Amino acid sequence: MSSDARSGRRLTFGLNTFGDVATDGARVLTDAESVRLLVEEAQLAESVGLDHFAIGEHYRDDQVDSAGPVILAAIAQATRRIRLGTSVTVLSTRDPVRLYHEFATVDALSGGRTEMVLGRASAIESFALFGYEITQYEELFEEKLALFLRLLREDTVTWSGAHRAPLDAVRLRPRMPEGGIPAWIGIGGSPDSVLRAAQNGLPLMMAIIGGRPERFAGHAELYLRALAQAGHPELPIGQHSLGLVGETDDEARDLWWRYWEPVVTDISRERGFYPPTVERYREELDDGALYVGGVETVAQKIARAVRANHLSRFDLKYDLRHLPRAARARSIRLLGEQVAPRVRELLDATADDLQPAGRHIEQITADGGPARAS
Amino acid sequence: MDSARIEFGIDSFGDLPRDEHGAVVSHAEAIRATVREVVLADEVGIDVVALGEHHRPEFAISSPETVLAGIATATRRIRLSSGVTVLSSDDPVRVFQRFATLDALSNGRAEIILGRGSFTESFPLFGYDLADYDVLFEEKIDLFHRLLDEKPVTWEGTTRAALHEADVYPKTDAGGLRTWVGVGGSPQSVLRTAHYGFRLMLAIIGGAPDRFAPYVDLYRQASEKLGRVPQPVGMHSPGFIADTDEEAEELFYPGYKEVRDRIGALRGWPPLRREEFAADVARGSLYVGSVDTVARRIARAIRVLDAGRFDLIYSAAGAVSASARLRAVELYGTRVIPRVRELLADDPATLPAEAR
Repeated sequence: MSSDARSGRRLTFGLNTFGDVATDGARVLTDAESVRLLVEEAQLAESVGLDHFAIGEHYRDDQVDSAGPVILAAIAQATRRIRLGTSVTVLSTRDPVRLYHEFATVDALSGGRTEMVLGRASAIESFALFGYEITQYEELFEEKLALFLRLLREDTVTWSGAHRAPLDAVRLRPRMPEGGIPAWIGIGGSPDSVLRAAQNGLPLMMAIIGGRPERFAGHAELYLRALAQAGHPELPIGQHSLGLVGETDDEARDLWWRYWEPVVTDISRERGFYPPTVERYREELDDGALYVGGVETVAQKIARAVRANHLSRFDLKYDLRHLPRAARARSIRLLGEQVAPRVRELLDATADDLQPAGRHIEQITADGGPARAS
Repeated sequence: MDSARIEFGIDSFGDLPRDEHGAVVSHAEAIRATVREVVLADEVGIDVVALGEHHRPEFAISSPETVLAGIATATRRIRLSSGVTVLSSDDPVRVFQRFATLDALSNGRAEIILGRGSFTESFPLFGYDLADYDVLFEEKIDLFHRLLDEKPVTWEGTTRAALHEADVYPKTDAGGLRTWVGVGGSPQSVLRTAHYGFRLMLAIIGGAPDRFAPYVDLYRQASEKLGRVPQPVGMHSPGFIADTDEEAEELFYPGYKEVRDRIGALRGWPPLRREEFAADVARGSLYVGSVDTVARRIARAIRVLDAGRFDLIYSAAGAVSASARLRAVELYGTRVIPRVRELLADDPATLPAEAR
């Protein structure tokens, strides 16, 4: 690929939110206030030059992103330039037809600025809430992805499958632009998902939320080779990670820990992980996937990931349950105004680190190796 | 009802207008035209906008609340409603989530009009059987009513997966959403609306409004029997306003006839004749004409039905020019509505019950 596509100038930065409820002083914002805050933050993101604003999809207490496209529609009318997307759309428990309606509408309202990341989700609440079997996790996603891609790419669709009523010469409205809006595949670490993205000719968004980000270099390599093998042109690779940019490393790290520790404690109870410790936190800060710190630290860390994982997009999930809104705003501002230009500067000064291992794809997926997530 | 408290709305199904060169615009552009029209409606003091959900070639809006969310950011005061949300072929949980989100985005301006839909396209599209038309709506309105309490819901039915202590987010600041039920003329639907304490929106798209008076009485009686204070009754009808009666009719008729005949062909109606159209404009449910004509006819309809809300489906003019549509919205807000209020204040008496 040309070095230009990988140069710092072409790297794009995004903000991701899971609709985490914020605080203002000692007060926890209401759900409705937290929804409105997202519109303000998207406007702020645009004003500091960030390229993407993307909303997740969750169905639980303290998260207000259950109807992401509706929020994106409001943001569309409040912004002019920033691209509007998802992080991620839980396609497995969604109806591709209604999803098309909603995103075609957002695309109309935003004048063609809409994009999405499709995934299977790491949280599973939506399965019970909408009456899906978690045991069908895999086949639901596969079938719905196939249908959704046809709806994006074809004008009139006739289709039948196991998990949704058949469609007979259906043409949905409003129409998206020909070919549909950009759709990325979100992956959490499964090589099969990487291959699926490549085979379908879709950009790859890697959710790296723990451990060394460089572990995903194998995924990037796998993806690029699978794309080539399938005869597709090279497509963008993005990384989604959590973090906070503050005045200094210590200040940001203390602040994040205060809100991160209870969240991770809850998740560890739910999913049977080990509870967070200060030692583990330090590891994640130093070598892991938490992008928390002052401008220089976060910029250095992002630049490292961009080089190692062959990224052309980096998205920071900037919200965290009850994190004060002022801290969120400052983080957005610093990311756009200081971190992003600094990362571009760092990248302009050095070359890509990606060192393809040169192995066959079958070998990478079969034995794990560099493509394995953990 | 006190004329100052009557609410006036404009309704659209997202019909595709024509651009300045006379070409019918794309669906995406029709959605942006709708936003511009509602921004104007907000500026001229119209109380509410209601956008319908359709899945047909002549209408651009298939996801009303997504369009309304865009409008929420671009407006300050106007209330934002669907008209209608086809609940039968949707999931009440998703519907609640989307409208609660809209309510948040608009600082509490969201409303919803639930309906079974007068079109049937959504049933096969979303995999529902028209044979289940009644049970789908009955079960889903029941579940939606429960979700409006915004507390964990345990529910079981035949048309959707059961819920066990399911808590649905986001919560609204007001602790609920103003909910109407759109009724086309079924007494059963009127009784159901009263049962749930929802507001009644009468879809009156042809014939004299007078024939809907029994439904209004039925709704009030049923509400009183249940010990409820009856909520205002609304009506929604097609119409169009221009500087003169003749201009309004010439602008409205071609596009209206085209859509009406296309839909009529599916329902076994003969093509619309100009005399029928003229009769509906004179005495029926087409509010087409100059400011004065339309104001007089709306005032009469409000009196006959003792309505608390009147919605004009201005998009029923079909593929009329976008500028004529904007002008109709402007005339409705700046001149028709004040004139209707004047007329009602001068002569607030409703027709006696026996005249109905």
